[in-house]
Amino acid sequence: MIAADAPEPGSVLYQIEDARARARRSFQVKFALTWVALVGGLVVALYVTGNIDTEFISTWAPFIVAGAWVTVYISLISIVLATLLALIGAMGRMSRNPYLNGVASLYVSLVRGTPLIVQVFFIYLALPQVGVVLPAIPSGIIALSFNYGAYMTEIFRAGIQAVPRGQREAAQSLGMPERQLMWRIVLPQAFRIVIPAIGNDFVSMLKDSSLVSFLAVEELLYRAQLVGRQNFRSLEALIIAATIYWILTIAFSFAQQNLEQRMARGDR
Amino acid sequence: MRIKAPAAAILASLLFVSACNQTADLPKVVCVGAATTYLDWLNGDFQPDVQDAISEPASMSGDLAETVQSAGVLRVATDSDYAPQSFRTPDGSWEGFDIDVATEIAHRLGVEPEFQHQDWDIITAGNWNSRWDISVGSMTITTDRKPLFAFTQPYYYTPAYLAASTRSEVTSLDDIGFTIPDDVTATQLPTDANCIEQIAAGRTEFDLLITSGTVIDGAIAAEQPIVKIGEPIYQEDLAVALDQNGPEMAGLLYEIDQAIGEMHADGTLTALSEQWFDGADLTQDPSGE
Repeated sequence: MIAADAPEPGSVLYQIEDARARARRSFQVKFALTWVALVGGLVVALYVTGNIDTEFISTWAPFIVAGAWVTVYISLISIVLATLLALIGAMGRMSRNPYLNGVASLYVSLVRGTPLIVQVFFIYLALPQVGVVLPAIPSGIIALSFNYGAYMTEIFRAGIQAVPRGQREAAQSLGMPERQLMWRIVLPQAFRIVIPAIGNDFVSMLKDSSLVSFLAVEELLYRAQLVGRQNFRSLEALIIAATIYWILTIAFSFAQQNLEQRMARGDR
Repeated sequence: MRIKAPAAAILASLLFVSACNQTADLPKVVCVGAATTYLDWLNGDFQPDVQDAISEPASMSGDLAETVQSAGVLRVATDSDYAPQSFRTPDGSWEGFDIDVATEIAHRLGVEPEFQHQDWDIITAGNWNSRWDISVGSMTITTDRKPLFAFTQPYYYTPAYLAASTRSEVTSLDDIGFTIPDDVTATQLPTDANCIEQIAAGRTEFDLLITSGTVIDGAIAAEQPIVKIGEPIYQEDLAVALDQNGPEMAGLLYEIDQAIGEMHADGTLTALSEQWFDGADLTQDPSGE
């Protein structure tokens, strides 16, 4: 920085910036130390008191970790389908056609008013009674997409309504037909608004996909419970699963942060 | 370090509670796996039954046997939390007595087995909707289950036993001080192994559990802190089950029953039993037929 034997008027600004940078760095170091101390302490405490079987962990971790692919695979397909459902749902919710609006509103109300686990069981265990027999993985994907689609419908509706009115009016004054106006002007801007929320939903879907374990889909939680019970080592097995869920959500949160920063560039 | 008064009070009461538990009498609770006959027995509702003789159906057309033959695969549901009958290895493959029996049955039918894990309460709920073909899961033949399942002849027999935690210091029925099942309530956990694990973890709501003698022996061999108590409570006739309410399966039932008969006769089942159950041959009918 600037040598400040005789303080120049401008150098004070550098000193302030310098002090701020130091404070930021010290905050980051203390923050990181807190995490290391807490997580490290937890690990040590488990080792000392929990009678942790490291051999079990090294033997079974690969089997449990293999379930992460199923978790990510189910979540990815479900978030794409949920986005499509949400788009249709949002159109319905804003429609002036009473039938369309009624259907879309009922969908949102019904799905948001019942627990996800009930929907999962309903699709897998109850639908066969009326002749619809779906295998486990499709059942799980349908339940997750259906559920998240309803929540995201509201997000999309808010996003579309958040696009400034002037945009719509400008397009109308150019004589754009309603449909083109929606696809070319409103939706692209709405998407930018809702992408952070979709990212958020994806992170929660990664965790909610664990409910599919009840259908004997071999994802993370299912595998952890299976080998945990079988070997009388639920603590170790669940710690492995929890750690992987955590790592997955941290990774996707980072990706989401980057995406948001990129999207924000257009807002200057 | 300064310990705040409320924290100290909580700590003291925790110590007090744990001290109480150690001196308290044996809890009048028995742990069992969900949807097991052990639960039925505790509820006074266990009705062992026998499968009637199975005869060859007049026609095989449209039978599940045809579907299995054309697919080349026999889809077997098993709860893989029942070592040594059915469990997984770290590479994901399936092992155990039930697994070997199912594999042998499939091979004698000229097809390959395909295993899928289902929780025991899902399998025993019936109405499989063709999601799998058969259960080779040591299912006890009971009157309640007969409307749901068609059973083959038993492929082996296990004794149901009472077991106690080692910390309870109970080693015989005389140490218990109350009658089972009259004086006790049942606690259900998803699978029998959970009962053993919870005792090992130090949970104190129960010190007793009922399960198959083979599961208890397996757990003791895996150094779990339980002991086997007394004489067998009853014998279970364990058979392969097919969905009574699914597609027509009289043909497949007959073929599997024949295969099991052959496996009894040529010593295959005895050899597998001795391999998995520490040299014991559990394939002979203890009632003397």
